[in-house]
Amino acid sequence: MTEPPPGAIVAVVDDDPSIQQSLEYLLESADHDVLAFGSARAMLESGCLAKIDCLISDIDMPGMDGFDLSQAVRDARPEVPIILITGHPELLHRLPPMDAGRHVVFRKPFDGQDLLTAVEDAVRDSRLRAGAPRDNGK
Amino acid sequence: MREIAAIVPEEQFVLSNLSPGPTQKRLALAVVLCILAVFVLITAGPLSGVRLGQVYAFVPAYAMAMFVCDSITAILLFSQFSILRSHANLVIASGYLFTALTLIPWILVFPGVFAPTGLMGGMQSTSWLYFFQHAGFPLFVIGYALLKDAPPSKRFWKGTTRAAITLSVVSTAALVLTASFICIAGEALLPRVVLDSLHLSPLWPYVGAPVALSSVAALVLLWIRRRSVLDLWLMVVMFLFSIEIPLSYYPDPERFSVGWYAVRVIGVISSSLVLIVLLYEIEALYARLLGAVLGQRREREARLMTGDAVAASIAHEVRQPLTAMVTSADAGFRFLDRSTPNLDRAKEAFKLISADGHRAGAVVENIRANFRNDLRTTTSLDINELIREALALERTDLEKHRIRVEAEPNQRLPDVLGNPVQLQQVLLNLVTNAIYAMAGKDEPRVLCVKSEAYEADSVVVSVADTGTGVSPQDADRIFNPLFTTKSDGMGMGLSICRAIIEAHDGRLWFVPNAPQGAVFQFTLRANNPVTAAV
Repeated sequence: MTEPPPGAIVAVVDDDPSIQQSLEYLLESADHDVLAFGSARAMLESGCLAKIDCLISDIDMPGMDGFDLSQAVRDARPEVPIILITGHPELLHRLPPMDAGRHVVFRKPFDGQDLLTAVEDAVRDSRLRAGAPRDNGK
Repeated sequence: MREIAAIVPEEQFVLSNLSPGPTQKRLALAVVLCILAVFVLITAGPLSGVRLGQVYAFVPAYAMAMFVCDSITAILLFSQFSILRSHANLVIASGYLFTALTLIPWILVFPGVFAPTGLMGGMQSTSWLYFFQHAGFPLFVIGYALLKDAPPSKRFWKGTTRAAITLSVVSTAALVLTASFICIAGEALLPRVVLDSLHLSPLWPYVGAPVALSSVAALVLLWIRRRSVLDLWLMVVMFLFSIEIPLSYYPDPERFSVGWYAVRVIGVISSSLVLIVLLYEIEALYARLLGAVLGQRREREARLMTGDAVAASIAHEVRQPLTAMVTSADAGFRFLDRSTPNLDRAKEAFKLISADGHRAGAVVENIRANFRNDLRTTTSLDINELIREALALERTDLEKHRIRVEAEPNQRLPDVLGNPVQLQQVLLNLVTNAIYAMAGKDEPRVLCVKSEAYEADSVVVSVADTGTGVSPQDADRIFNPLFTTKSDGMGMGLSICRAIIEAHDGRLWFVPNAPQGAVFQFTLRANNPVTAAV
């Protein structure tokens, strides 16, 4: 197992305050920096989009939902990995088909270690890609 | 008005056994008045002088039409008999068969159709066969009227329907053959009612009168015992029969007079009346069946969706605190698992776990409150009906697990007041639990659902299974939320059931079943406490 990368800056968006808080604890326990928000709008308006390394978002939220948020983030910074969590697995059929393969989705309740591994893998891959020469046709 | 014997449940679905509505009665009256008007117009009015041509081809056409109508009516009535097994139906079916079969010798001997003097027999044969038919059918109607209200023990045929139908067909045919033989071979011995192939003799009305009287007698008897749509239209048919006799003789006692043609037309009408009623009944039953099937499907979907929707919303509500608890626990573990454990953070994580645990508990309490709100929609309902539906909904599962179902509904239970959807959920939950409890066990797997009166003002429903039963250590926890013995269960079922029943002012409990299994029982308030004391 490779050494875990230096702490990433992870944005967490979930309308449930307990889940927000527990995710903060979880990511902190793995030495990541966490920016937690209660809504998609709050996150976008905070301006942190420019500096995050990863986004974890709930899907079913009032106002802007997780799909729209992930679309907005992809438009602005396509290299940021996005992990979606949901209590409604039936919503997944609404994923735009082209994105289906690129999203990582966790069902609630999820295993903390699995989530952390997913975050770390995703961040590592995106850093590698950022460092690699640009692919053609990408 | 004499007391009417009770209608057996199957008979209620047969339209011709139900009372006619005002529209039907008005229609019947209209037919009678029209024919009466025609009668007056022909015998005494402007039409009496009309001369019509002698269209011999009319006779076989008319006979064919009558034969077809009467045969189809007979077939439909025989099939009704095979369903209902009522003697009365058999008799009236035979009557229509009789009418149809009599047409065969009648057309053969009618002068001018197959031969100038009829194919066989003599001059009198045709009219005597006509009298025979017109006296005979009312006798069948009288038989029908006498038998239809017999007490149920005597009303129904006990053997196979095929035997009954065969017997009827054979006897009716034998009767027709005998009469034909008398009228044809014994023609010379019969009183002379016709003068020649066209003219009726003065003796004709003396034979005609008693024949007409048999129709009148049938009409009167039906009137006294009238109850159903079939009775109504048979009365109209008897009226038409009785009017045919005077119309045949007055004003011109001859064939191919306007009165004679009118009688033939009236004959076709009377032949088709009951047929039309039966066909209409078939259409109406189709529509009702379709409506019932669709309605049942819709209701089932609504019930499943409601249950599913409720379950989904509960599931989601509980998943949130659970997720937070699991994630916090993972985080707390990680904080403690470091080389230098972060105790402060770990403590905070534990606090969050505890808080969310309480939140989950509050969610369950809120569910109870929500169910109380739903109780706005309470109706008076038959609990046996709900039990029947629950068992029907679960039938596939019950069959899959080869569970024998014994339903013992007490038919004399009063209605209860409640929310049918919620009570249905309770029944479904208890039945599902019973299926689950018995799934792994050996035969016999028996599910017994009973309903009885309880104390002075309640009804108790028992769902008994022969499954794994409830172990003593689980006994005081099974109604707690989040308790379950199922590997994939959420444990909400019984706590919700208890919430529903208690919101209905009842109680839900269980007792062990002998030799194994459990009996879950719940009480409900009866809608009318006075009648519950049965």
